[in-house]
Amino acid sequence: MSAEIALVELAMIALAPFVVGVLFGVDRKLTARMQNRVGPPIVQPLYDLRKLLAKQPRLMNGGQVAFALAYLVLQMTALAILVTGGDLLIVFFVSGGGSLCLVIGAFSARSPFSHIGAQRELLQVLAYEPVLFLVIVSIAFQQRSFLAADITSLLLLALPLSLAALFVVLIVKLQKSPYDIASAHTEIISGPHIEYSGPFLAIVEFAHWAEVAVIFGIFTLFVYDPNVWISVAAKIAIVLVALFLALLVDNAAARLTAGRMVRFVWFVGVLLVAVNLIALFVAGKVMP
Amino acid sequence: MTKVVSSQIRSPWILHFDTGSCNGCDLEVWALLTPRYDIERFGMLNKANPKHADILLITGPVTKKCEERLRKLYEQTPDPKLVIACGDCASTGAPFFDCYNHSHGVNNVIPVDVFVPGCACRPEAIIDAVVMGIEKWRGMMAEAENGEEDRGPEREREVS
Repeated sequence: MSAEIALVELAMIALAPFVVGVLFGVDRKLTARMQNRVGPPIVQPLYDLRKLLAKQPRLMNGGQVAFALAYLVLQMTALAILVTGGDLLIVFFVSGGGSLCLVIGAFSARSPFSHIGAQRELLQVLAYEPVLFLVIVSIAFQQRSFLAADITSLLLLALPLSLAALFVVLIVKLQKSPYDIASAHTEIISGPHIEYSGPFLAIVEFAHWAEVAVIFGIFTLFVYDPNVWISVAAKIAIVLVALFLALLVDNAAARLTAGRMVRFVWFVGVLLVAVNLIALFVAGKVMP
Repeated sequence: MTKVVSSQIRSPWILHFDTGSCNGCDLEVWALLTPRYDIERFGMLNKANPKHADILLITGPVTKKCEERLRKLYEQTPDPKLVIACGDCASTGAPFFDCYNHSHGVNNVIPVDVFVPGCACRPEAIIDAVVMGIEKWRGMMAEAENGEEDRGPEREREVS
C-alpha cells in the first residue's frame, strides 16, 4: 500500500510541471479565443520546450546555467515536499530560494535588460512573498499544523479570503497582466529570461512550470473531501477555476507599474488574510 | 551541421527587425499577429529577442548604420535559424538603387533563406515564405535521417 502511494507521489512530482505546461497551453488557447483568434494547440508549450532542448546551446557564462539549474532543483524540491505532504513553511522558503536563484542568474549576465528584469523579479518576490507567507500561516492557524498532510477539512469554507489573497499571488507568479512586471513582453522583452537561449531557456521555462505547480498545489490544499475521488475532482476544479479567473483578469487589464503592484499586493493581500484570521479568531471565541 | 527536430517546425519563434524600412512592410508583419492572420495558431510567437528566435523577419534596405546591428542579431540567434527578407527593399534594395548609404538588401550582409517580393509585401506572402523556410527545415531533417542511415555501416567498418 505504502509502495503504491510512493509511486503515485513520484508520478505526481514528475508529471506536475508537464501538467502546468499543458495548462499554459490551455491559457494560450483560451486567450486566443477571447481575442477572436484561433490560437495554438494546447500542447504548444511542450513543443516549445522540446524545440528549445534541441537548439544550439549558447551561454553567457557558467554561473548563469548553474543558477538556472539551482532554480529548477529548488522548485522541484519544493514541489516534492508539497506533494509528499511535508511542511508548508519549508515549501515556501525553498520555492522562494528558487526564485532568488533566477534573479541571481539574470544578474550574472552583463545586459541592461537582464538587470532590469532581475530587479523587477526581485520586486515581485518582495510583493508576493509576505502574502504567500501569511496565507500559509492562516492555513496553519486553522489546522494547528504546518504539514500539508494534516489538512483534513474543507479550508475553503474557513479561509475564503485567504484563497482570494492567494489568487493575487497567482497572478503575479503566472506573469499575467496587470502584474507581468518582470516579463513585460513589449517593454523589457522577457526580463530575467532574456539572456537564456536554447536548452538553458528550456531549463528556466521548466522551472517556472514547477514554480507555478507549487502555487497550484497550495490552491489544491483549500479543498478536501474524505472520498478520494471527490477530493481529486475538487482539486482539479479549483485549479481550473483559478486559471480561468487569472485569464479573465489578464485579458481585461493593462500592465501597471511595479510600485503599484507592491502596494496593491501588500495592501489587499495582507488585508484579506488579516480580516479572515480576525474573523476566525472572533468566531472561535464566540462559539468554541 | 545544425540539428532540426519536428518540434522546431511546430514552434518557430520570430524576431522582427527593421533595418530602415518605411514601415510599410513592418505594418504587414504586425498584421500577422492580428485575429485575421493569427500566426500563433502555427505556434509562432513574436519574441523580439534574438536569443529566443528561430526566424528573423527582416524589413528595409539595411542602412549602413544598421549593418553591424543586423549582423550581431544574426550571430546571437542560435541555430537552426531562418532569415526571411520581407519586401522589395530587403530583397534587393531596389527602391534605393545606387543610394550611397545602403547595403542594397539583407543578402549583402547576412545569408537569406527566403525572399518575399512586394512593396509592401502582403501578409499572406510572409506566411508563405515562413512555410517555405519550414520546408527547408523538413528537408534538413530528412537529410539528417538519411545521412545517419548511410553513415551507419561506415562506422561499423571503421570499428572492424
